Amino acid sequence: MNPSMSPETNDSAAGPGVAYLNLSDPSFSVRAPEVMAAREASWYARTPYGIAVLRYEEVRKLLFDLRLRQGSYAWPVLNGVGGSFARWWMRMLLSREGADHARLRRLANPAFSPRLVTGLKPKFAALAHELIDGFARQGRCEFVSQFCEPYAARVICVLLGLPQARWHEFAQIAADMGLALGVRFSQELACIDRATDRLFDYARELIAERRALDLGDDFLSLLIRANRESEETLSEQELYDMVVLAIFGGIDTTRNQLGLAMDVFVQHPAQWERLAREPQLARAAVEEVMRVRPTVTWVTREATEDFVFQDLAIRKGTTLHMLSQSACADPRAFSDAAGAAFDIGAERKPHFGFGGGAHHCLGHFIARGDMTEALAILAARLTAPQYEDTPAFLPDSGNTGAIRLPIRFQARA
Amino acid sequence: MRIKVDLELCRDHGQCVIAAPQVFRFDGNQKLVWVVEPDHSLRGAVEEAADVCPEQAITIEED
Repeated sequence: MNPSMSPETNDSAAGPGVAYLNLSDPSFSVRAPEVMAAREASWYARTPYGIAVLRYEEVRKLLFDLRLRQGSYAWPVLNGVGGSFARWWMRMLLSREGADHARLRRLANPAFSPRLVTGLKPKFAALAHELIDGFARQGRCEFVSQFCEPYAARVICVLLGLPQARWHEFAQIAADMGLALGVRFSQELACIDRATDRLFDYARELIAERRALDLGDDFLSLLIRANRESEETLSEQELYDMVVLAIFGGIDTTRNQLGLAMDVFVQHPAQWERLAREPQLARAAVEEVMRVRPTVTWVTREATEDFVFQDLAIRKGTTLHMLSQSACADPRAFSDAAGAAFDIGAERKPHFGFGGGAHHCLGHFIARGDMTEALAILAARLTAPQYEDTPAFLPDSGNTGAIRLPIRFQARA
Repeated sequence: MRIKVDLELCRDHGQCVIAAPQVFRFDGNQKLVWVVEPDHSLRGAVEEAADVCPEQAITIEED
């Protein structure tokens, strides 16, 4: 991609310390030494399209700056792709702004309310125990297929009233669609679009079934009622788009984040044992995992006007990648006794794993709830897991996650 | 009802502005401002706003 083709920052403002990071390169890693070096050289780096913001304070300020809009709507165009996923992506909630966005967000909010979490926690716990029962005594498992995937998929089934028996199908669809949010979008297009089409078919089937019954207070019923009220309240297309978003968005990210959590704890067995002794730290553990190893490694913004930020003139249309991974390891923000090392007991500034602002993750209360239960129960039931074989991960960019985590442990008495 | 916002917790997400635009907005300096005693007809929207705040920074005090 030719940087001069996109609206760019003022070249004369680029100082000598400003690095270039090729975010489009399939081998690019957000955790590579070149990224840390770039962060120490300057608060930003140049990329094939736009700039990457690398330091905590600058990410914090720009993430909430109202002169920037959500930038990820442009992701399919940047990858030079069309197709079912791309079309859905550019229509759905995350890609909307202003009154349209607000209307859709207000409709979706009640289904993800923090008030639901208290009632859901016992279901999360029962599910975690059931899955752990399936491998605890063996002393080993493949953690993604035997825990992360079924846990994430079945939580969404419970939340949205979907048949739990079909969880594996939903998980597979979510994993295939998730390839769109990484560097292999164009290479995997056929697989991504097949999965997207299947999910739309399922959404239509689901809504048709629900329409034939008495409506309740559940998410699907609320959406159907809104659509019944008028096409302006919620159009037919928006209804299906929202169902697809809830299923895909709910499964893919949670599955990925739980896998990454396990990888972090494998590197820090003393932290695992601390969590087992002090289960009240489970929520803090979720936050600390998301600080050091977020599934969403960067959040994209786009300037809606020309403006100057610190020493840089930013032109309207410029893409800004908030490198959450880099920013949350910034020694300037994590400089107390704990430093930036993984520590579930340390008091921390907030991370950016759920983004921020108008498009802050819709499902975060649910995700925080279900991941807290999962980590507490896993630590209570298993001794500190170690790798039995080489783990496999998605590329360390865009939305990342674990593919295979062959672990061994002992079941606690 | 009286709206209280804990500005130590508030991080300017603006979810409240989306949920209850008649009560919450950002001023010209991108600072959150709000109607302290909104009309009781706005109770539903205000409760939504308190519910959706990612930082749970909003409380509603009854008269």
